Parts: sequence; structure tokens; C-alpha cells
Amino acid sequence: MNLIDLSGDKRRLRRDARMQVALRTAALVSVVISALILFVLVRGAVDFLTKIDLGQLVDSGWYPRRDRFGLSTIVVGSVIVGGIAMLVAVPFGLGTAVYLAEYAPSRVRSVVKPVIEVLAGIPSVVVGYFALRFIAPEVVGRLFDPTQPRNMLVAGIGIGILVVPIMAAVSEDALRAVPASLREASYGVGARRSTTVIRVVLPAAVSGIVAATIIAASRAIGETMVATMAGGLDGSGPFSASPLEPGLTMTAAMTNAAGGSDQVQAGAPFLVLFFTGLLLFMVTMGLNIVGDRFVRRVREKY
Amino acid sequence: MALVGESVRTVTREEVARSITGSKRHIGGMLFVAGTVVALMGTLVVLFVLIAQLITQAWPVITGRGVGFLTDGLSSRPSTIGVWPGLYGSFAIGIIVLIVAIPLGVAAAVYLEEYAPPTKVTRFIVINIRNLAGVPAVIYGVLGLTIFVGWLEPVTSGRTILAAGLAVAVLVLPIVIITSTEAIRAVPGGLREAGYGVGATKWEVVRDHVLPYAAPGILTGIVLSLARALGEAAPLILVGAITGLLPETSLNGPFTALPMLVYSWSGRPSAGTEVDWANVAAAAGLTLVVLVLLFNAAAIVMRNHFERKRNGL
Amino acid sequence: MTFRHTSLTQWVRRTVTLSVVVPLVVLASGCGEFNGGASSSGGSTVFVTGSSTVEPISILVGEFVRREGIAVAVEGPGTGDGFKKFCAGEGDVTGASRPIKDEEVEMCREAGVEFVELPVAVDGLTVVTNRANTVVDCLDSAALYALLGPESEGMRRWSDANDLAEEVGSSFTSLPDMPLSISGPGEESGTYDSFVEFAVADIAEERGTEEYLRPDYVASGNDNLIVEGLNGSKTSLGWIGYAFYVGDKEEVRGLEIVNEEGDCVEPTDETIASGTYPFSRTLFIYVNARSARDNDAVRRFIDAYLGPESDALVRDAGYVPLSESVKQAAFDAWGALS
Repeated sequence: MNLIDLSGDKRRLRRDARMQVALRTAALVSVVISALILFVLVRGAVDFLTKIDLGQLVDSGWYPRRDRFGLSTIVVGSVIVGGIAMLVAVPFGLGTAVYLAEYAPSRVRSVVKPVIEVLAGIPSVVVGYFALRFIAPEVVGRLFDPTQPRNMLVAGIGIGILVVPIMAAVSEDALRAVPASLREASYGVGARRSTTVIRVVLPAAVSGIVAATIIAASRAIGETMVATMAGGLDGSGPFSASPLEPGLTMTAAMTNAAGGSDQVQAGAPFLVLFFTGLLLFMVTMGLNIVGDRFVRRVREKY
Repeated sequence: MALVGESVRTVTREEVARSITGSKRHIGGMLFVAGTVVALMGTLVVLFVLIAQLITQAWPVITGRGVGFLTDGLSSRPSTIGVWPGLYGSFAIGIIVLIVAIPLGVAAAVYLEEYAPPTKVTRFIVINIRNLAGVPAVIYGVLGLTIFVGWLEPVTSGRTILAAGLAVAVLVLPIVIITSTEAIRAVPGGLREAGYGVGATKWEVVRDHVLPYAAPGILTGIVLSLARALGEAAPLILVGAITGLLPETSLNGPFTALPMLVYSWSGRPSAGTEVDWANVAAAAGLTLVVLVLLFNAAAIVMRNHFERKRNGL
Repeated sequence: MTFRHTSLTQWVRRTVTLSVVVPLVVLASGCGEFNGGASSSGGSTVFVTGSSTVEPISILVGEFVRREGIAVAVEGPGTGDGFKKFCAGEGDVTGASRPIKDEEVEMCREAGVEFVELPVAVDGLTVVTNRANTVVDCLDSAALYALLGPESEGMRRWSDANDLAEEVGSSFTSLPDMPLSISGPGEESGTYDSFVEFAVADIAEERGTEEYLRPDYVASGNDNLIVEGLNGSKTSLGWIGYAFYVGDKEEVRGLEIVNEEGDCVEPTDETIASGTYPFSRTLFIYVNARSARDNDAVRRFIDAYLGPESDALVRDAGYVPLSESVKQAAFDAWGALS
């Protein structure tokens, strides 16, 4: 035996090297995709901005076909709908997570967790249908007096329901990540379970809970179908800050911008799709990055 | 103290606390627990109401049309309409996702877990993938419109199922990568060491030891991402699915898919006692939910089956 | 553990191959199975785009010819959008709830698209309010201008329009003080254009304002959502094609419109057909000449559209059939092409 024998079969080594290149290319595809997304959005956004004058962006009301692109309308729409969604998702999601992590006997847990996963799997179109055909007439229509059956409150509630599972899942992870030693120390000094939970576990899990909220908010703002189906405005409309009035989110504005004619691809009403998309992308990316940082902080702590 | 003189019995934390502090039940604490239970019950009730409403609305269609609803094509009347073109479209999208996203995703995961050196570049790729997983579906729709319908028009013929499928494949790619990464990471190091120990190359270790071991986890991830792909509608709207009448289904012409049907039918009038659009929209929605649930259930069953098999070995 | 890995790999490989090959085969053969047996060659499909008002008729005609093995795809993005697609060569037929505009003729000419204009039905553009609104029964164009025209942006109550109504010479200057909630088609819709033509254009020209409506209303390309919006508010106001009004008479009420003689006329089949209802308009389809020449399916589709069944199909869709003389003119125009 000498060194030459130990150096390995040339053919197998070559194949190994080829595979490495192939696999690395596959991984790099994801980078290409990101780059493409940014390129497409930025190019379209720049095209759009050159076609309009910036004053049009501070108009009141979003009327793309009239060349009126009042950003405040769709941004406020997204904020109101997203805000209502979080008002629904945080109490229900966090409450469920606390119960599952701290109080539920394991049998209850093993039944409830799959059920929540079912809710997580329901496609957003179906939740949109539910919002349109149930929440709008039976819930919002009965309890409030909206000007139109489809409005921002309906969309907000629908998106809230959609986002509860994410809120619950990430919060629960955060709560379970709190070491048993902390809880036991608390019991050791005579605290009740609820005191322990409120004063020890929750504060310890705050990073994770904040992460859950941010991730859920990002999902809520990026949600398209429920906002389009139940939000109330089909692509254009006046500015409104009242949840009981119909509204337009950034995502709904995008679905409607794309639904227009393809031939006027160079026109502002179509190009606004990219501008709005870029805005949406930056907002959700920002939220995701911040949320991620909180998640990592949780992992580091424990 | 109450504890003294008690016969053998389990003493709860609460009793100790109460006897130490000597106070009655803590109202605040009980309210808090009640609050969390209400949150849980609320979530469950909402889910129940949603499914119940879906089923009650879909009921006339289920009992009246039965399987016909699944095989009939589109029409102008809700009493004769069926979801077949949608099923076909969703099926085609699933195939495209399988062919495109799965190999790409698993390969990327293998690279990241087995080959990638711990450099800044690798870190960048990982962060990038996590970001992509959080990008809203509608943005992938924009990507699909510009690239798959526009730039790649010679290949996809414009607004077709192929373009839509590619857009959805790109959407689920990060999910595939992330789940496969986790599955590969769970492979015990000893397995790899053993392979290297007998002189295998890295690729051989991966192919013959790591991948088979990680296969159940990877498969579960595949099924979950297919379930996700089934339900996405935003990319389909952007790429241009048809919501009117569609006579036949083809790979390189106007197309539609199940989520689009739910979307479009939900917006049509619901009036009268005969089967109307709200009923068929619910029926289509129910079909979609059942399919998604089947996939998710299959994933869970597979995961349990393989775990048992592995542990029982 | 390791000695079982080969069978697992083989199993995985087998399953993956099967689950890809089998569906591909199914897909390839499954094309065109569940319809009237039309072949999937490009030459025997008809693609109809355009007005959402005309869409119901096209769908009914499409279903009618399906028996003959012709495959028809129909969508209704709106008259304006339909023309944009049509003049770019996308679409064999486009429906329109108003005649083609000069700019659109120009667009088609520049793109080398030749077409023929064919009237297919008569529609009565209906101004609608909620059934619970028992106060307003009749309006004239001037009142509509005051409520919905370009100078009315921001008016949130019906009574806000009273001053303007008086200015433009309306007979209805004491509109009630109730919330004004407007739902109607958006600018991509021919119904929008028709309404501007009927109610706003003349007065706008006199006053030198834009021939547009106020933008701050709930605009939708989906006629059914418009009706739902009108149902949603007790004192709503909107306008839609007659077919959608007739199909949803449950909660909405068509307002009477003052005609040239000064009478309030309600939209009914009779008044629309006779022309006494002032907002009667013709619905058109425009056919790509080259498609008509080269595509047999398109020819047969249009034959059916204008043929003996057309009256029944038009009524089924909720509109009014053409008068004999107009129908004859349509025949002649079509005959001249094919």
C-alpha cells in the first residue's frame, strides 16, 4: 500500500466534485430568486415614478385610472385592516398559547394542537369566503351599522382568524422555551400557578412573544385574498379611516392593478403594481427581519 | 395547619400555597386562567363555525349533484357548474411544483447542510432563504407575471398553467428547503462518520446514508408544501387565471385552478332557494379544504409511520 | 439500520418516478375530455373578452354552441379593457356596452386589426336605489349630474346636491337629507361610459367640466358586488345593466328617469324595447375579421349569436332583443364579412 492507493478512485472523486457544483447551484437559485424579485420590483417602481409626478402620491383617494395615486389611502387601509387583525389574533393566539403551554393536560394538548394545525391549513380564499358570506352579514352587519356590507372591519376580522394559528404556534414555542427551573423557583417561594405565569414565565418569554406578534403582523399585512374579497373596494376608492367603511389595502390594490389590461403595460395604472409591491416587500421584509432578530434572541437566551 | 394529620394523599401546589398564605382562592388568578380558556374555546368555536358554515352552504350541492360536481365543467349556471377545470389546474400546478421545487429545494438543503463551508456567503444564503419564506404570495405573483408570463413567454406561452405552476413552485421553494434542512440536520453524525470511515466520498455518504435516513422528514416537507401550493390564489390572479367560461383544459392556454373558482364564485349573487353561487362557492371551498386536509393528514401519518418504524428497528 | 437503506432508496426512487410519470400521462391525455369533445387545436376555440354587461349573453351563446363541439372561453374585464386586448390581437370577439371610441378605432387600425361591429341586444341602463328608500322615485339627468357628476366629489348626503341640481336646471331640487352611498361600475366598464354619455356629458360640456363621474364611490368591475353594495345601504344609489337589475329585484329598486317629454319612465322590457325609457342603449360585439375568416368556430359562434335562437338567449340573459330592422342590418354586416 502506498499513498497513491489511498488517494481514491478518480471517477468517484470527479463525481463528488460535480455533485458539489450542482448542489451549490441549487442553493444559489434562491439568491437568484431574491435578486429577481428586487430587480423586477425596483425596475417597475422606477418606471412608475418616472411616469407620474410625485405630487400625485399625496392625493386623497386611490384612483389609478384617473392617475390619482394617493398612497395614504392604501397605506392606511393596510394599517387599519392589519391593526384589526392583530387585535383579534393577539388575544386569541396568545391566550391559546398560554393555556396550551402552561395549563393544559397533555390529553387536551394532543387534541387541540392538531385542531389548530387544521385552522392553519385552511386556505385564505376559504377564509375570504367565510368573511364575505358569514362575518359580513351575520357578525359585522348585525352588531354594527356599516355603510357597506364589505368593509375594513370584516376584512380585519377575517385576517385575524387566519393569523391566530401562527401567533399561537410561535408564542407557544416561546413559552415552552422558558426553562423549568424558572418556574420551579417561582413555585418554590410559594407563588400560585397564575402568578408564576404572569410574573415569571410571560416576562421571560417576552422576546418570543414579540417575535410572534411581529411575524403575525407581517403575515397579516401581506395577506391578499381576504383583503381583496372582503375589504370593500375593487381597486379604487376614496380615502377612509373608518373601519366600518370599505377600504383598500396595498395587497388588494395590487390584485386589481394586475387585473387591468395587459396591453397598457407601460401605463401608470399597471406600473403602480410594482411600486406598491416594492412598498409591501420592504414593509414585510422589515417586519420579518426584526421578528427574526427577536426569535434568535430567544434561542440565545436559553 | 391543615396538612398536619392528613393521611397519605397527594398535596397540590395550590393547597400548599393556600395553606401558607392562608387566603381564599385568588380571583385574579382564576380570571386569568379563565381568560386563556376563553381564548382557546374562541379559536375552536371560530374554526367550528367556519367549517359548519362551509358544509351547510355546500350541502345542497353535495346532496344534489354528488360526484358530478367534481367532474362537470364550467357553465353559466350554478346548478350545472362543476369544478373539474379547477381540479385539473390545481393538479397540474401540483405536478409542476413536484418537478421543479422539490429537486431544487432538496438539493439546496443538501448543499447547505453537508457541503457549505461556514462562511459569510453561506450565512447570506441562509438568511436569504428565511426572508423568501416570509415574502407575501402576491409578490411571487408579480414575479410570475413579469418573468414566467413575460420574459419566458416562448416557453410558457404567456398566461398558462405552466407559468402559474412555476410561480407557485418558486413560492413553496423556501418551505421545501427549510423542512429538508431540518430533516437532514436530524441525521446523527455517527452515520456520516461511519460512511467516511470506510472511504466513501461526501456525495456517496449523502446519497446512500444521509438522504435515506432523512427521507421521511423530507417527504413530510414535500407533502406539506404541496398542501400549501394547493391553496394559494394570489399568484394565480396575477398570472391571469380565467374566471368566466372555460371550455376545456390545456397546458398552454387559458386556465383556472380550484382556489380561483372559490374566489370568483364567492363574488357572484346569492339569491333564491335553488342552488346558487354561494352554494357552489362553498362546495368548491369545501373541496379545497378537504384536499388540503388530506395532504396534511398524509404528512402526519407518514411522519408517525416512519418514526415508529425507525424506533422499532 | 444501514443494511435497510438500499430498499428505502429504491422505494423512494420508485414512488417518485411513479408519482411524476403517471400524473403526466393523465394530464396529457386528460385534455379536453370533459367537454363537448372539441379538439384542442388552436383553430377551433373562440376567445371572447370585453364587457361584463355582454358577458352573460356570450356565455349563454357559448354554452349553446358547445353541443356542436365548439369550445368558447369567455371573460368580462370591461368594455375598455376588452378593446385594449382586442386591438392587440388577443381575443376573437369583444363585447361592448357602448360603441367603439375613435381612439380605439385608431388603436386597432395601427395594430392592423380589422373588425366588424355587430349589435346584439338592447339594454336599459338602470339607475338603482335600495328598496327601503321610499323617498326618491324619479330623477332627471340634471339631478344625476348633481349627485354623481365631476363637481360632486365629497358630497356625502343626497341633499348636498340640491344647490348644484338647481344650478343645472333639474326639476328635483329638494333631494332628501339622507346618506349617499354610491356603488357602480368603474372606469374600465362600458356601463360607466354609457352613464356618462346619458347623464353627464351634455351638462359637462355646457359647464366646461370633465366628462367623468366623481371618483369617490365604491367602484367594482363585478356587477354582483355592485348590487350587494346597493343592498347594503338603505339609501344607496348606483347604476347597472338591466339584466343585473332584473336578476336581483329583491332588494333594489329601479328609479324612473325623466324622458324627453318630461315624463318619468320606469325601466321595463317594454319601455326599453320601445325606446321610451331614455337610457336605452345597444349592446355590441366586435369580431376580429381575420379570426372570422380563418377560424371556423368563430364563424359558427357568430352565426349562433345572430341566428334564430338569439332572441331567446338574449331574453335569458335578461336583456331585450333587437328590433327587426336592426337585426337585419347586423345580418348584412356579418354577411358582408363572411
